[in-house]
Amino acid sequence: MKKETGNKIGLGIFVSVGLALFIVGIYFIGQRQQLFRNTFQLSAIFKDVSGLQPGNNVRFSGINVGVVSNITQITDTSVRVDMQIDEHTRRFIKKDARANIGSDGLMGNKLVVIAPGTDNQSIVKDNDFIATVSPINMDDVIAKLKTMGDNASNITSDLAVITKNIRNGKGTVGMLFTDTVFARNLGVTVVNVKQGAQGFNRNMNAASKSFLLRGLLKKKDKDDKKDEKKDEKKTNN
Amino acid sequence: MKRLIPIDIETNLNRIPLLSGFFNAVSKLTLFVLRFFKEALKPPYEFSELAKQSYQVGNRSFALIAITAFIMGLVLTIQSRPVLAEFGATSWLPSMVAVSIVREIGPVITAVIFAGKVGSGIGAELASMKVTEQIDAMEVSGINPFKYVVVTRVIATTLMLPVLVAFADAVALYGSYFGANLKEVVSFHLFFSEVFGKLDFSDVFPAFIKTFFFGFSIGIISCYTGYNAGNGTEGVGKAANAAVVFGSLLVFLVDMIAVQITSLFT
Repeated sequence: MKKETGNKIGLGIFVSVGLALFIVGIYFIGQRQQLFRNTFQLSAIFKDVSGLQPGNNVRFSGINVGVVSNITQITDTSVRVDMQIDEHTRRFIKKDARANIGSDGLMGNKLVVIAPGTDNQSIVKDNDFIATVSPINMDDVIAKLKTMGDNASNITSDLAVITKNIRNGKGTVGMLFTDTVFARNLGVTVVNVKQGAQGFNRNMNAASKSFLLRGLLKKKDKDDKKDEKKDEKKTNN
Repeated sequence: MKRLIPIDIETNLNRIPLLSGFFNAVSKLTLFVLRFFKEALKPPYEFSELAKQSYQVGNRSFALIAITAFIMGLVLTIQSRPVLAEFGATSWLPSMVAVSIVREIGPVITAVIFAGKVGSGIGAELASMKVTEQIDAMEVSGINPFKYVVVTRVIATTLMLPVLVAFADAVALYGSYFGANLKEVVSFHLFFSEVFGKLDFSDVFPAFIKTFFFGFSIGIISCYTGYNAGNGTEGVGKAANAAVVFGSLLVFLVDMIAVQITSLFT
């Protein structure tokens, strides 16, 4: 009889602990789905939800604050997304907050990301609608990439023609690279310019010593120094 | 009126012993199941015997199931890790292991081990009772043997297997946590928030409901093989063997049907 009572108690403990484990599991799963918390509803209307599903997370400032509860097609170009959001975060979500559809990593699930609004706006109410940002459509991105690719191919084909001309000595740059006479002439010109500049320098030195121009040049120097001082003061202030 | 066609089928079937044997067994099993429901619903109820049997099949199987579940979680984690590491997705390990344990591996492996331990036990016990004419003795002394022996055992397996699966899932997830920590450091909190972050009610409830059917199938098939055992000690061995073989087979059949039904709704 004693053994039988012990067995019954053992059975009772076994079943209770097993059921408790099950209930704890259910509770934790439910908590993620915001079943046992105070929530409020926010809705947003998107053109395209990019595969969002009921049960996907809603993020605000990078924190999971709710789940997508319902998705309904309203017209051919608009889809209504209802979200259940934790009551505690309501005070941070302003009327001009914007909802966007993002994804959790490269292969992750879709989710709704709510961007915070401005401080001076009032807080959202239950069943409010917030504005949305159209998600980036991969088809648009691909179309843009295609235009970029076309442009790049045009540019490279032009570049190919230019480099070919240069190599064949066509045009000014081509001549510079390939025509030795032109290059020598250019070298002689540079030497001439250098000599001319030296001569000019000498003339200017002589002129500054002549009494006719000395006064004028000194005055110019003084003015320059004054301007410099003014600039320094300005920068210090 | 002539009964040409039925007689023809019967005589033709009798020429193929394997096929006729199969249909014979199916009809006997169906009657056995119907009789179970009839006896189970009719008072008086043998609660004390039910508690005793539940202790036998539940508590006594706990250690075996827990060890197996722990190893299962551990091994599954270690084996899945390299594949996920190839994609750089080792952070998905807890959720992936959790979904496979809770949805499929936990219930099925537990049920198969349960069929091996409890099914063979019931099959052998009932067969030896039959062979030693204890069942006949019960009838003589005014106890309904079907109610006392079969009904209590089948209800016990039906109710205890889901509890064992709940334990097995929990222990397997702990084993998986242990396995994840062999190669990297994952905190308990992070691991289990990943696990519960991915699990959904649609993962838990269908898996939980099918375990009742697993338990019922194992119980009824073991009792059937034991209750209809042939004469002699050979019959006992055959009954125990058949209980395990058909019990395990039935678990997989029920699982296949359960997955089909679940996929209809999700």
